[in-house]
Amino acid sequence: MLCESCGVFPATTHVKTIINGELSEYCLCAQCAQKLGYGNLTTGLGLSVGSLLGGFFSHMERPEADVVRCKFCGSTFDDIARSGKVGCAECYHTFYNRLIPLIQQIHGNAKHRGKVPGGSQLSVNPQTQLSVMRSELRKAIDSENFEHAAELRDRIRALEGEGQNGKMV
Amino acid sequence: MEKWYEKTGPENDVVLSTCIRLNRNLRDYPFSEKMSRSHQAAVTKCVLQASKDSCILDRFQLQYLPMEQLTKTEMVSLVELQLANPEFISVPEGRGVLLSGDESVSILLNGENHLQVQANEAGLDFEKAYRAADELDSLLEKNLTFAFDETLGYLTQNPMNLGTGLSASLSLHLPALQENGGAARISASLAPLGLSLRAGGGKGSEPKGAVYYLSNRVSLGLSESEAISNLQNIAMQIITQERAARDELVQELEVQDTICRSLGILKSARIMSYEEFQGLISNVRFGISAGLITEIGYEIVERLSFEMQPATLLVMSGKKLTVNERRSLRAQKIKEILKN
Ligand SMILES: [Zn+2]
Ligand SMILES: [Zn+2]
Repeated sequence: MLCESCGVFPATTHVKTIINGELSEYCLCAQCAQKLGYGNLTTGLGLSVGSLLGGFFSHMERPEADVVRCKFCGSTFDDIARSGKVGCAECYHTFYNRLIPLIQQIHGNAKHRGKVPGGSQLSVNPQTQLSVMRSELRKAIDSENFEHAAELRDRIRALEGEGQNGKMV
Repeated sequence: MEKWYEKTGPENDVVLSTCIRLNRNLRDYPFSEKMSRSHQAAVTKCVLQASKDSCILDRFQLQYLPMEQLTKTEMVSLVELQLANPEFISVPEGRGVLLSGDESVSILLNGENHLQVQANEAGLDFEKAYRAADELDSLLEKNLTFAFDETLGYLTQNPMNLGTGLSASLSLHLPALQENGGAARISASLAPLGLSLRAGGGKGSEPKGAVYYLSNRVSLGLSESEAISNLQNIAMQIITQERAARDELVQELEVQDTICRSLGILKSARIMSYEEFQGLISNVRFGISAGLITEIGYEIVERLSFEMQPATLLVMSGKKLTVNERRSLRAQKIKEILKN
């Protein structure tokens, strides 16, 4: 079956849609699925599932007993690679080293920026905040804005103090 | 109660509405594919309890609808009203939605993610929509532990959606760019920018009502405000192009004639299929922006566009109707609403 969007490539992804009041389905190729925002791990990597497994994971041949399973949900890495779906939050820790190269192929070297749970919209992790404040401090000193510099110095000290308390616990 | 789509908003001539979605998962439950019925029930219970404890239910006047208690038509209507997606209603088991009275704010439970917090606003209004979704998310988070990693952001079943979990989108009315081929050209050029523009409604690449969705595809490495300002910038460029194309198109007498006839048909028809309605209402919308139609405003067009959809029309009528009865009811309702 050919992709119902471009009509060129074979359809691999089924997408639900509503047509005239009824739930129905249409079929897309990997490229169109990706382009229209229905991408997953395999379409994101531009690979078929077979080559995903074959190319990356020679560990497939290991005996069953050696296979690592997520302690929380029981997924193996092959389960994730085959379905394109991660089982649970713990899977990201269990298979971190094997997932990261795939995630980097999709997202580049990107690191999360933006909202962090448990903080206000503006909160960033303390180390990032410290480095931002230190460079701000240098600028303040360079521009002889000493009042602002003193204030920054105090806030940096306070943050560093918090960090040390954290380590002691 | 007046619904959010009956209001007007900024840049309403081109932008129908703004939608902000935040995808969240609870740390202590497996993601949707690995969930049992009891996991689903537990997640629902946790979220409802957290909503109660953080006073969200009262503050946003939220009501809980379990999907399994809805008819098929009622579920399709939720999709038509932009409150759920087709994937969500295709497997109703264990799923539900918390919905505010004016339908501007909702939370989908146990879809692809444990929670999807959503806020809708009329016109181009990212600020207002984001503020509502963010507030809801922040209140929930006081009583829920979301799956999160410092480097990867909010953790999701689909690794494509890691990061902020933000999906921001605009519904755009692009009759002139559709006519001159601009919409297809823009759509092709947006992919490398991490954005997508796709035709609304069904499979076709040329939607009947000239409605398109502009949304972000990248959520890792960009903060919420960066993603939104990217989208806003592109939206303003598309709006400018659409307005210029409309100015040109509307010079043609034939176009003016089509627009004015469209309102005439809507006012006088006795039978109206949804397909025909979409084309006519799109012309009328264009006519309002061009100053050719002054007797009705965007809020009436919006109300019709939402409430004349097939499943929604049936749900509102509260009856089972044949295709012809439905078409006749649609024609009658349109006349009533246009008269007021
Ligand atoms: Zn295709
Ligand atoms: Zn797991």
